[in-house]
Order: sequence, then C-alpha cells, then structure tokens
Amino acid sequence: MMPLSKCKKNKQYTICRFDNAVDGVLRRFWELGFTVGQKVKIVATSLSKKVFLVQIRGYLLSVRASLLDKVQVKDD
Amino acid sequence: MTEILLVGNPNSGKTTLFNSLTRSNEHVGNWHGVTVDTKAKTFFADGEEYSLVDTPGIYSLCPLSFEEEVAVKTIFESDRKIINICDQNNLQRNLYLTLCLLEKGCDVVLAVNEIDKKPIYKIDYKKLSERLGVFVIGINAEKKIGLDDLKKALKKPKKLSKLPYLKDLDDNLLKGTNLNKDFYNLIKLYERDEKFFLNNGKTEIGTLFNSVPKDSTQHLAKLRFDFIETVLNDCTKRTDKVYGQSKFDKFILNKWLCFPIFLSIMAGIFYLTFFSLGAFLSGILESCLGLFTNSVLGVVEGAIGKTWLYELLSTAVFGGVGTVLSFLPQVVLLFFFLSILEDSGYLSRIAFIFEDILGKIGLSGKSVYTLLMGFGCSTTAIMTARNMDDKNAKIKTAILCPYMSCSAKIPIYTVIGGAFFGASNILVILGLYFLGVVVALAISKLLDVTVLKSKKQSFILEFPPYRMTSPKRVGKILWKNVKEFLIRVGSVMIAMNIIIWVLSSFSFSFSYITDGHGSMLETIGKFITPLFAPLGFNNWAIVASLVAGLVAKEVVVSSIAMFNGIDVGANKLISNSILLSSSLVFFKSKASVLAFLVFCLLYTPCVASISMLLQEIGRKWTTISIVLQLITAYIVALIVYNVAFAFEIFGFVKSFSIVLIVLAFVFAVVFIAKKIKHKKMCGNCQNCTNKSCHKK
Repeated sequence: MMPLSKCKKNKQYTICRFDNAVDGVLRRFWELGFTVGQKVKIVATSLSKKVFLVQIRGYLLSVRASLLDKVQVKDD
Repeated sequence: MTEILLVGNPNSGKTTLFNSLTRSNEHVGNWHGVTVDTKAKTFFADGEEYSLVDTPGIYSLCPLSFEEEVAVKTIFESDRKIINICDQNNLQRNLYLTLCLLEKGCDVVLAVNEIDKKPIYKIDYKKLSERLGVFVIGINAEKKIGLDDLKKALKKPKKLSKLPYLKDLDDNLLKGTNLNKDFYNLIKLYERDEKFFLNNGKTEIGTLFNSVPKDSTQHLAKLRFDFIETVLNDCTKRTDKVYGQSKFDKFILNKWLCFPIFLSIMAGIFYLTFFSLGAFLSGILESCLGLFTNSVLGVVEGAIGKTWLYELLSTAVFGGVGTVLSFLPQVVLLFFFLSILEDSGYLSRIAFIFEDILGKIGLSGKSVYTLLMGFGCSTTAIMTARNMDDKNAKIKTAILCPYMSCSAKIPIYTVIGGAFFGASNILVILGLYFLGVVVALAISKLLDVTVLKSKKQSFILEFPPYRMTSPKRVGKILWKNVKEFLIRVGSVMIAMNIIIWVLSSFSFSFSYITDGHGSMLETIGKFITPLFAPLGFNNWAIVASLVAGLVAKEVVVSSIAMFNGIDVGANKLISNSILLSSSLVFFKSKASVLAFLVFCLLYTPCVASISMLLQEIGRKWTTISIVLQLITAYIVALIVYNVAFAFEIFGFVKSFSIVLIVLAFVFAVVFIAKKIKHKKMCGNCQNCTNKSCHKK
C-alpha cells in the first residue's frame, strides 16, 4: 500500500483505506466518490508535484498532494 | 404561491435553468461556485405562479464552504418542492446528492441536463424514475428543451422514494444517544455531521458520536455509491469517455507550456481590449459622441448663450461624461473576454496551474476565479470569495480583489498614460496590471504570516469540459455590461461631475469663478496636496480628482477633463497632452505620471466595492482593508516615483545599476535569514513525523 500522492501517472490503483480522523475534507472525499475498492488514476501533476489531477468515477478532480497523502491505494 | 428550490452539484446548470424558467439574466459560467447566494424569481406554469429559488452548488447536505452552508440552510428551512438538476455526463456523482435529498424526505423532481449531443450516459428515464421513486425529466436548460414536461412534473404529487440500502444502517446507534428516534437523525449520526446537530441545539457533540463507529461516514457513502452504480447499470448505457478530459490538456497543463500559454492568452486579451480592436471601436464611438455633443451644445448656446448653465452642460455633463463614455467598447470587450474564459473551462485549468504558487501565500487555486473577476469589477469579484472553505482565506481573497486593476481604471490608464507615454503606453498598462497582481500576492503573504493565517486549503476542484460560449449568452453579457456602464455613467458620474463642477466653479461665498482660482475645490485640495508632494503630484486638481475617484474610478478622468476644460472624447484629451501638462492639472515629470497611475491602481476602491466588502467581511476587516490599501498605494507610488525619477535624472545605466545593487542586497538578506532559520530546524525536518516539530 502507498499514499495516492506517491503513485505513478496514468496507472490504475484501487483505494484501500483512508488515514486520519473524520474531518470535513475527508468527508468531502467520500462524497466525491473516493470509497474503498474504487479505481483511481493520476492523470497529471503540477510543476512542483503538489497538485494532482485525479480520475475517479468517470470524472476529473484536481486535489492538493497533502490531501492525497490520506488516501492509501494498492497497485492493480 | 408555491415555492420551489433549485438544487444541484456545482456547475450542473442550475442558474441556466433558473434563467430559462424565469426569463432572467443571472450570471452563469463553466466553473465551480459561480452562484454564491440564493436568488428568487417567479414563473408561471398552467396559470399557476411559482417562486423559484436558485441555490449555490452542493455535493451533499454536509456543507464545507460558506456558500454551501447557504444552500443547505435553505433546504432545511422548510419542506419545499425541489428541482434537483443533474449533469447527464456526470450522473454517478450527481446522483449522490439526489440520494441525500431523498433520505431527508424531500419532494424531488430530478431534471437531467442533457448538454451534449453525444453524452457519456444514455438514460432510460422511465426505468430510472421507477428505481429511484422520483419523477425524472430529461431537459436542456440552455435550449429550453423539456421545460414543459418539467413544469408538469412539478404539479404531480410526491412519489415514494426507494432507498433499499438504508436497511443496512444499524438503528441501535440511536439508542445510545438522547436523540429522538427520527430515522434522519440516524443518517446524520452516520455522517457525523456536527453542524447539523449544533444547529438543532445539541451541544455535546463529542459524547454524541462516542457510540458511532469511526468509519460510519465512509460506510454510508459507499452504500450510496454502490446503490447508484447498481441503478445506473440497470438504467443507462455508459461510454468510456471521461467527464472533463480533453486532448488540449496535454499542452495546457504541460509544465513547460502552461505559463507561456496563460501569459499569451492574457497578453492577447489586453492587446485586443486596449489597443487594436478596443481603440478602433473607441474611436468610432468618440466621433459619434463628438457629432452629437457639438450639435446639442450648438442648440443650447443658441438658446441661452455661454452662461454658467452652458458651462455646466459642456464641462460636467458632455465633457466629463463623454470622455468616459468613449471607453465603453473597451470595458465591454474586457468583460466579453473574461466571460469567454469563464465559459471555456480554462479557469479550472488556471486554478490547477497556479495552486502551487497561491498555496504558498495562504490562498488556494480557487482564488484565481475571484482575482480574475477583479479585472472586470471588484464589487462582483468580492462576492465570489465566498467559495473559499476557510474564513481567513475568504477575508484575504476579498481584501485582495481591489488590488486587481478593474475595468473602471481603463480610462485613467489610457487617457493619462496615452497623453504622456504615447505608443509605449501598452507597456505601462501591462506593467500596471502586472504590478496589481504582484502587490496583491505580496499583501496576501503579509496577511498570511501576520493576522490572517489560513488553514491549509482543501483545494478539491472539479475539471469541467471545455465548452464554447453560445452567441446568445455573449449577447446577454454584452447587453448587461453596456446597461450597467450606462446606468453608472448616467447616474453616479453625472451627479458627481455636477458636484465637482460646482465646487470648482464657485468660491465659499458662492460667487462664480471664471479664472479657476479661489474655488471651494481649490481651497480643499490645497489643504491635502502637501501630503502628495513626495509622490510628485503636488497639484490640488490632481488630488481633488483622486478624492472624487472614491465614488467611482471613472470620475478621476472626467474630473481631470473638466479641470482642463476639454469638451469630449479620450483622444481629444490625449492629443491635448500639452494642455494636460501645462494647464491646471499638470505633472512635474513622467515619473510623477507613473506614480499617479500606480496610486490610482492601488488606492481605496469605489464606494460600491466598499459596501460589498462591508457585507462580506464586516466593518473591522473593511476598515483594515481601506487603510492597508491607502498605505500600500502611497508606499508603492513613492518607490515608483523615486526610481523613475532617478532614471530620468541619472540616465538608464546608472539607475539600473543602483536598482540591481538594491535588489541584490534584499535577496542576500532574505537568503541569509532563511539559512539562519534552516539551521534552527531539527535534523529530519524535511520528512519528520514529529508532532512537536516547529514546522508542524
């Protein structure tokens, strides 16, 4: 397992679990479709790799790396 | 009258549907969080009157930002019928909110907005309606397709919603609390929604959630999404397309190309607005205005002669207002290009590109929208700061808006800059826009390290697909801005010009002044003028025009035109640069002109923006914002004046060398300070997990 922020670009991973306690931001993640077992892919990164473009449930979201640190994934 | 709420995810087409149903012209855009407040209007369906309430976009009934709180509060206020609009291309995520509404027991009509001809989901509406237990209507909000069916559905009685996954919730959790046995309390308990319970008078939130498993929220979200997937598998056919994905993004998000592309787009917009196209259109309008003014003034002169009333009309009304009016094409062009940017979907890409930089100064990529809107009008831009998740970030973004050079300042740059810098004025204008951005970023950093430290912004932003603006929408935007500009010029500016004319034409004993000396304005202006001597414009008329500019920035130019006794037209004023520099309003040198332009760029915003600041961030922060802007404007103008003056006196080489030495000294101090700070860090500071580490 590894945090989603450390994943390779354009490779599919599966969400295993979430770190940290429930807060508003983590709840928002779940509402946006980041649930355990869901397939996820990094599509692009910003210049300093602190912002990621993530593909999940058929749409794209840009998310800060510090938030993706909380999402643990495994290689498909 | 029946009240209906319009609810949906951000950027799903709520305001477009609102405009179509109520024949309104509310602001829409291809961006998350364009609507930040509720608005209501009426419409008729089969002779019955409905009041439609548009709400800001939400993802669920657990709000995260200020505008989401507004929407959720409106939903919880009463049991009104709800039109839940979903984007057909992003159905899976949009239906999550539908389930939240159905769980609450809302009377929902589901409107699926079919924007594209080749959608990602092909839907069997009848089946979907049966599976969810709601009326589902396919519509196209912009083309007004399916609206009759939607209106018919509003009249039908509520269906019984079917949410089988709720059986999996453990209602024993309610027993461990002092909550009543309402099933919705159980759902909110699962969601661990603190705000919901606090709003319902529960204060002991910690103990309330003791009996609830820590992964309950996640569990409920998964149950909802699993149900949605099952329903969509049964009722839709899905293509492999990804919502928001485009081949253009390979270039636009490319780390080497993203900034050059952004800068080229912005430079193109400014060039077309201020020069080529904008200048051409301004010239045509100015010629028309000149013809009109001459003929009207000819008639007036014939009737009343060159009396004080004639002077009032020719100077305050036709002279001052006419000068600003000729900039109408440029103002409209700027709004036009901004709206194309907004509709295109490029703004989300800009937010993605700039998130790194903005994150370092306590802002978020989401601030990009607010700051870019500030180029159009600060007043409306300030309101959009509501889509920030953090209160401090919201205050900071609102405070920064007036630093962005708004369209009202276009006449100042073009007239004053054009008169003194000629063809090089394009560089001056670009420099001013750039300076506004740089100062805004510096102020943000200053606020972030002092009084307005932001929480780490969540920055979760959806990527919308690229879209073309429809000609109809462009027409609406142009008309709206022309109307607003004309109303402002016709009301505030005429009133202000008449006041200034009276103050500059009469003495305190109310005797009419003909030689321009001894007027009330001169007496007042001379009192404040010494303050501005260090900035190089120690002339009472200039200071008076700055004071008048507090009402609206366009008034600065119209008052300067009045003080010079120039009839109408920007080009006339520019071609009268000798008159401008030798008459009442004169600048010592080009350095003082630059300082004046910089002061105009940065000083206190207009009255409308101040009242919006008061509404959004309160009296304390508005006062701080005004004082901060005045101080910043003064200091930056002072620096610009002295540097530019040095260039004028000592020549380019010597002055440039001095500037380089000063910059090198500043960088050296910053570098040494960082080194000293770095030495104080613990050994593993880069990746440490030590919670007591000073960096945490």
